[in-house]
Amino acid sequence: MATKIDSELKSAAIFQQMQQHLQSDAGKDVLNKVGLVYQMVIAPKKLGKDEETFVVDLKKGKVYKGAFEGKPDATFSFVDDDFVAVSSGKLNPQMAFIRGKMKVKGSMSAAQKFTPDIFPKPAKL
Amino acid sequence: MALRDLVMGGGGCAVPGTSSSANPLGGLAETLFGSASKTQERLQELPALPGLEEPSAIELAPSHYLPGLEYEPQIGHQSNGQVSEFLRGFHGPDYHSYQDAWKESGAPMPLQPQLHENAPPMFSEFERIYSQETGAFHPPMGGPSQPVLSGFLRSFFDSRQSEVPFHPVAPPQLGLSDGDKLRIRNRSSVMVHHVFADKGQQYAEAQVNALLHSLDIEPDLKTMGPQHGHHSELEEYWNDAHAGRISAMQKGRFVDNSDHWATEFSQRREDVRDPENWHQEFQQQHGNDWVNQFTEQQVSTRNLGRDLEAEQHLTREQSRIMAETLAQNPDPKFQNSKFLQFVSKMSRGDLILEDNQVKPNKADWADEFGKTNENWAAEFTAGEHAHRGDNWAEEFSQIGTSTAENDGWVDEFAKLNVKDWTEEFENQFSSTREDADGNWLDSYEKFVEEQVKGEQNLPSSSKWAYMFADQNPYMGHANPLKEGQELFRRGLLSEAVLALEAEVMKNPDNAEGWRLLGITHAENDDDKQSIASMVRARDAEPTNIEVLLSLGVSHTNELEQREALKYLRSWLQHHPRYNGLIPGDQVSGLNHAEVTHLFHEAARMAPVDADVHTVLGVLYNLSREYDRAIEAFQTALQLKPKDYSLWNKLGATLANSARSADALHAYQEALDQKPNYVRAWSNMGISYANQGRYEESVRYYVRALCMNPKAENAWQYLRISLSISGRGDLVDACDKRDLDLLQQEYPL
Repeated sequence: MATKIDSELKSAAIFQQMQQHLQSDAGKDVLNKVGLVYQMVIAPKKLGKDEETFVVDLKKGKVYKGAFEGKPDATFSFVDDDFVAVSSGKLNPQMAFIRGKMKVKGSMSAAQKFTPDIFPKPAKL
Repeated sequence: MALRDLVMGGGGCAVPGTSSSANPLGGLAETLFGSASKTQERLQELPALPGLEEPSAIELAPSHYLPGLEYEPQIGHQSNGQVSEFLRGFHGPDYHSYQDAWKESGAPMPLQPQLHENAPPMFSEFERIYSQETGAFHPPMGGPSQPVLSGFLRSFFDSRQSEVPFHPVAPPQLGLSDGDKLRIRNRSSVMVHHVFADKGQQYAEAQVNALLHSLDIEPDLKTMGPQHGHHSELEEYWNDAHAGRISAMQKGRFVDNSDHWATEFSQRREDVRDPENWHQEFQQQHGNDWVNQFTEQQVSTRNLGRDLEAEQHLTREQSRIMAETLAQNPDPKFQNSKFLQFVSKMSRGDLILEDNQVKPNKADWADEFGKTNENWAAEFTAGEHAHRGDNWAEEFSQIGTSTAENDGWVDEFAKLNVKDWTEEFENQFSSTREDADGNWLDSYEKFVEEQVKGEQNLPSSSKWAYMFADQNPYMGHANPLKEGQELFRRGLLSEAVLALEAEVMKNPDNAEGWRLLGITHAENDDDKQSIASMVRARDAEPTNIEVLLSLGVSHTNELEQREALKYLRSWLQHHPRYNGLIPGDQVSGLNHAEVTHLFHEAARMAPVDADVHTVLGVLYNLSREYDRAIEAFQTALQLKPKDYSLWNKLGATLANSARSADALHAYQEALDQKPNYVRAWSNMGISYANQGRYEESVRYYVRALCMNPKAENAWQYLRISLSISGRGDLVDACDKRDLDLLQQEYPL
């Protein structure tokens, strides 16, 4: 079921947890609510540099590393830490966008459904 | 803003008896520090002493005394009336126009001046400054004491001519106020150094002391009466400035610009009012020939646009004369200054003035000079980073204040500051060609960058800096460590944090204090503070394996794989039983798989060591192999079933692999053993939220936050849960950290 996401990014931990999370009942609610395909472009330190691409497919409930085959509803670009901040609710997506910490390509209405509650929250050891 | 504004000064002249010439630096300073609308107010408060002027010393500069003065009449006609009026009054050969100008200023005439042929020009200049100042700024002192005091002071100065030490005769009661006394003291201190410059400092001091004594003024009188409250500081600035100027003149240096500029600057920084008085003020301080020259040049440039050709010719002529004048100055520093080169170039026609801009006939540096200064000034005017200037001024005023208290401050100030200042000043403003301006700009840009970066990187640069609580009731506690241990044992984590903070503030090298503080923060669901504490604990005791494990766990929670792996590696390296598994020098090169392999080796060596399995569990969390991590923690728990933190670790791992329902059981175990385990409460909330049970999650978050209101993550998660569970009305309470309301709504 779970395929390992091979990346050193912090975001990869979120994606990995999401992969399993989307199989759960709560995860299925997310699929019903959103039902879109997001492509995430994450850079370790600086936007546009050493980026890695991930797909968060909230139609099929799949999360994996690589580009989406076809046209995602929206593509987001983040620096690693900023994505973690957004996914944990520390930084709201609008603010991230205004501050230029989040770049959006694709449908705006699709982008508006991108909220922190679609991501599982990591528990602390 | 044009170069002209910077170099020539931008303000107009309105007050007779003053000059329209803001000098170059004045103009620059004004431009830099924004509106000068408040100059006047402030300057009116500048101390001056009516009646102090020594009439016999007032000397009008004869026309031949000022090179370039032959241009004055035509300049006067072309420029505005006030300027010419002033110039005539100021420089004119006949005394009467001076007198007229003086009367115009609305001030009473000082005592009848006489030309004093043998008085040194500098001295007369000095006197002129004071007499002007009196006329321009201050109403007559009134009362009968003025003539008495004047005569008295005159006799004091006459003592210089007669070469006889001043022997005071007890004067009648003058009824001087403290403010007056202070002014007299300060003025005479300054003047005496000048007047008796040829006789040495001790003599000068003896003279002034005699004078002060006779006037019943304490030499160390420092404060003004209450009605002048804030004057004293200004007075110090003022005197500093004069001290600098005098000594500069004594040395024959051409340096008074810089310190005057600074004086003006600091005054302006305080609260200045009106550009016109400011200019006036500035002109008064600049009695040197070249400034007069400059005034004229400025006057001449005023006419630009009216008669450009004639103007340029005139400018060139002015520049030539000015260059000659400047070139006569023997000071090599000045000889090399770019300003001189600038003027020389202008006189040769290499540079022309057009539309208020200096245009190089050959192209290049002057234009650059104008532009760079312009930018610099504009940026400063924007006021964004004016505090840089503030600092500078503060520094200046600090130096000034400290030296002012000293009896020998005049000389000291001169020795200490003027030279450096001059150099700095010249470096910054004159040597454009050597890219000094460029350097300045570069560093300014860097500074701006740093500021921007500073905002962004503040968390990362101070990322692991420990943040102490503002108020700590345990400060001063006899044994805060013991208290902290006790509070920790009783589960009062937030209290324990305070006690332990008191301990580590008392004993910053106490590894145990920092370690327990770190553990407490971890249990209190604050990994950042935990890491900060543990870093300090490790500094104090680098081989403590508990500290290393805790650092590994906290960095894992923060998703920082590299750091986490580093600490888990050193756990193995410093463990007395397992450090033989790897040679120390190879440790840092090991990757995650190799480290995991070594821990499996260790587990084979000692299958009943729960700690090894615990580290393995953390390692597998790091590599997101949650199933293996769960296995490792379960093994560890079989060996150590009473370890509540292990139960939490197991729960968290289950939760992170989307087994939230199972996780709740593990958390419950942990909470049964440690009811105030904030981290477990918070994790419970996360598990409910991840299961879509947001209302329930709110209760657990609120519970955790009641125990530790500083758990930032819990606040963020609470906010999300509230908005999703349809309690948007409480999001506000969440943002306001209103725990009472939240607890009321969501009791657990």
